[in-house]
Amino acid sequence: MDASMIFAQFMSGLSRGMMLFLIASGLSLIFGVMNILNFAHATLWLVGAYICYSLWYLFQDYGFGLWLSIFLAALALAAIGVVIEVVLIRRVYKRELPEQLLLTYALVLVLGDLIKIIWGVEDKMIARPPLVEGPVFFFGVPFDSYFIFVLCVGFAVAFGLWWFLKKTRYGHIVRAAVFSREMVSALGIPIPKIYTGVFALGIFIAGLAGAVQAPVGSITLGMDMAVVIQAFCVVVIGGFGSLLGTFVSAIIVGEVYAFSILYWPQGALVMIFILTAFVLIVRPWGLFGTPTRA
Amino acid sequence: MIKYWWLGVIFIACLILPLFIGEFWIHVAIEILILGLFAVSFNMIFGYMGQLSFGHAAYFGAGAYATGLLMVKSSVPLPVCLAVSMITAGLLAVVIGYFCVRLTGIYFAILTMAFGQLLYYIIFQWYSFTGGDDGLQGIVPPDWLFSATSYYYFTLLIVTAGLIVMWFICESPFGYTLRAIRENADRTRFIGINVRKYMLINFAVAGMFAGLAGGLLGPFNRSIAPDLCNWHQSGVPVFMTVIGGPIGFFGPIIGSLIYTFLFAFVTGFTEYWPLIIGIVIIFVVLYMPGGILGLAKTKFKRRESKAPIVEEN
Amino acid sequence: MVILKVEHLNKFFGGLQATCDVNYEMQSGELSAIIGPNGAGKSTFFNLLTGYHKADSGKVFFKGKEITNHPPHRIARLGIARAFQVSNIYLALTTYENVRQAILSQQRKTLNFFTPARRLAKEETLEMLDITGLAQHADRVAGNLSQGDKKRLELAIALGSKPELLFLDEPTAGMSGEETHETMKLVQSLNQKMELTILFTEHDMSVVFGYARLLTVLHQGSIIAEGSPEEVRSNEMAQKIYLGEEA
Repeated sequence: MDASMIFAQFMSGLSRGMMLFLIASGLSLIFGVMNILNFAHATLWLVGAYICYSLWYLFQDYGFGLWLSIFLAALALAAIGVVIEVVLIRRVYKRELPEQLLLTYALVLVLGDLIKIIWGVEDKMIARPPLVEGPVFFFGVPFDSYFIFVLCVGFAVAFGLWWFLKKTRYGHIVRAAVFSREMVSALGIPIPKIYTGVFALGIFIAGLAGAVQAPVGSITLGMDMAVVIQAFCVVVIGGFGSLLGTFVSAIIVGEVYAFSILYWPQGALVMIFILTAFVLIVRPWGLFGTPTRA
Repeated sequence: MIKYWWLGVIFIACLILPLFIGEFWIHVAIEILILGLFAVSFNMIFGYMGQLSFGHAAYFGAGAYATGLLMVKSSVPLPVCLAVSMITAGLLAVVIGYFCVRLTGIYFAILTMAFGQLLYYIIFQWYSFTGGDDGLQGIVPPDWLFSATSYYYFTLLIVTAGLIVMWFICESPFGYTLRAIRENADRTRFIGINVRKYMLINFAVAGMFAGLAGGLLGPFNRSIAPDLCNWHQSGVPVFMTVIGGPIGFFGPIIGSLIYTFLFAFVTGFTEYWPLIIGIVIIFVVLYMPGGILGLAKTKFKRRESKAPIVEEN
Repeated sequence: MVILKVEHLNKFFGGLQATCDVNYEMQSGELSAIIGPNGAGKSTFFNLLTGYHKADSGKVFFKGKEITNHPPHRIARLGIARAFQVSNIYLALTTYENVRQAILSQQRKTLNFFTPARRLAKEETLEMLDITGLAQHADRVAGNLSQGDKKRLELAIALGSKPELLFLDEPTAGMSGEETHETMKLVQSLNQKMELTILFTEHDMSVVFGYARLLTVLHQGSIIAEGSPEEVRSNEMAQKIYLGEEA
C-alpha cells in the first residue's frame, strides 16, 4: 500500500465527492428553503444525463457538441423543474409530511418509467471529445482528464451558489425566506415566485450534474436508485440548507466510499449509512446545519 | 360490539370466497391479506402514533427471511417459523427503534429509511447466508398447505388473528396513550408518560406484525428477494394507508384491497406499473387528502348537525 | 412539611437571564400565588420546576427528594401536576378522553394492551368532569370548547393525575367573572378539602388577593417581595414595579 495508491484513492474519492456535491446541493437547497424533501432529485439527475446524451447524439459531428449538450441539458432540466413545481409541488406546501413525501416519491416512479419509454433499456454511451479522452498525470499517476473538468464544474457550482446566496439581492431574499416567509411576502416579494425559482435552480444543478456525469462510463437505468440514498446521506451529514455542509460532507462521503472499496468493498455503503445514522442520532441537524430545523 | 356486524359479514364473505373465484384471484386475495396486515402494522406507527416510518419494510423483509431461511435450511414447521419471524422482526425493531424514537417528523422518516436501506444492502451483500441478489428460492409450504385454497384459509386465519390483536391494542389504554402522544406529546409527558418508551414499545409491536406478514409471504411466493426490504417496499404501506385513510383501523386494509387489485390488473397488460401507480399516487395525494375513508366520512358528516373536527373510529 | 424547596435556581436563554438566583419554599397545604409583570419569568419558573427546561444551576426538592432536571414524566409521576397558560389539551380528542387519559396514566394502566379503554376509569372520569363543571361537554371534541371551558379542561387533566402539588398558570385567563369565581372556589376547596398544595400565577389582582394566602413577586427573574397579601401590598418596591403598572 504505497503513497501513489493512497493518492489515487484520494483523488477518486474527491471525484466521487464532487459528483455527490453537485447532486446533493440542489437537494439541500430545496429542502433548506422550501422544506420539501425531493425524492425525485436523483431521477431528475438521470434525466439530465439522458437528455445530454440525446443532444450529444444530435451534435456529435461538431467539436463542441458535448459542451453544448451539457449546457442545454441543464437548461432543459431547469424548465422541467419549473413545470414540476408549478403543477405539482406547489400544491403540497401546506400539506402534511407524508403527502409531500409520497408526491415526490411518485415522481420517482413516473419519471423512471418515462425514461424507460423514451430512451429504452439499453445503456447509452457518449464518446468523449479528444480533449478529455486521454489521461493526465499528477505525480506520475495517471488520471482521467475528464475528471479535471468535473472538479472545475464542482468548484464553479459551489462558488456560484455561495456568491448567489451571499452577494446578490436575490440570494439574500432566498435566505430571508428560509427564516420567515411571512416577512418576505409582507415586503411585497412574491413567495411563490421565489419557491419556483429555487426549485428550478436546484433542478438545474441536478441536470448539470447528470449531464456532466453522462460521459463518465455509461448511462444506465436504475443509476438514480443507487445515487439518491447517497445524496440523502450527504445532505443529512452536512446539514440541510447548508452549502458548506453539503460540500464538506460530499467530500467526506466520497472519500469514505473510495477507501472502503480498498478494505471492505461490500461495506462501502454500509459505512456511509452508519455514519448517516450516527449523525442523525447525535446531531440531527447535521455538521453545519442549524438546530432550529430539527 | 353490535355496530361491527358488518365485520362479521365480511369475514363470512371471505370464508366462502374461494368457492366463487379461480386460483389466480385466490392468489390475489392472499396477497391482499398479507399486505393488509403489513399496512395495518405500519398504521400503528403512522395513524395512531403520528410518525411516518419510511423503512417499515425492514421488518417485513426480516420476517420473510427468517421464515424463508428456516424453511429452506431446516424442517421447522411453518407455524413455529412464523413465531420466529415475529420475534426476529420485533427484536430488530427494538434495536432500530431505540435510535429512531429519539427523532420525530422528517428526521424520523429519514432515519427509518436509512436503516431500511441498510438492512437491504446487508441482505443483498451477504450472499453466503441469504443468497444475495438471487434471493431465496424453493420455499415450499408443508403438504397440508400446498394448494392455493388451503394457504388462503391459513393466511386468513393468521391475518384475522393478527388484526384482532392489533385492534385490541389500539383500543386499549396503551392505544389511547399512543393517540395522546400523537396529539400532544408534551402534555402526555406532563401526565407521567415516558413518551420515548411508549414509542419504542409501539415500534416493536408494529415491527412484529410486519414480520408476521413477511413470514407468510415466503411460502406463498415460493421465493423471496432482498427487494422486500427496500424503500419501494416501504412505500407500499404508506400509499395503502394514505389511499385508504389513516384515521381509523381499517383504512390500510381498504388501501391494500385497492392497491393489490390495481397491481394484478395493471401488470396484466403493461410492464409500466411504476408509471401507473405513480400517477395514481399523485392523483390521490392532490385530490383525495383523507383517502377513501375520508371521502366516505365527509359524505356521512353532511348529514350531522354538529361537525367534529376529527373523530376516532 | 416543606413540600417544595428551590435553592439558587438560575436559567439563561442565550444572554438573557430568565431566572436569577431564586430561592423559594412551600409548606404543604399552602395556597400561594406568584405575580409579576409579563416577562418576569413566571412560566419559566414553572417550566424549570416541572422539568420542561433544564436549569443552569441550582436545586429543586420535592418532599425532600431532589428533582432538579429530572425529565417531565418522572416529576409528574412523583405527584406534581401543571395546568398551562395556553391550554395544552388534546384538541382532537373528546373532553371525556382528555380527562380519562390523565386518570389512566395515574392509575398506571397505560401499559394495558388488551382491555378496551372505554370500559376503564368510567366513574373516576365522570366524577372529575362533574367537579370541574364539564360533564355536559363530555362527548364534545375538545377543540370546540369555549376558551373558559378549555381552561377548565386544562385543570381537569392536571387534577386527573391526583397530584400533591399543583401549578396553575393563569387559571382564570379568558373566563367571565362568574366562571372565574366558580373556578377559584373549586381551587380553594381542592386546597382545603383534599389538602392539595397549590401555586398559581395570575394577572387578575382580585383573584390573587381574594384567594392566595401567600404571595411572591417576581421581577426580571428575581424575587423582589414575599409574604401575605397585606405585606406585599404595602411593600414599596412591589408597588412601584408591579402594582403601580396595574390599570
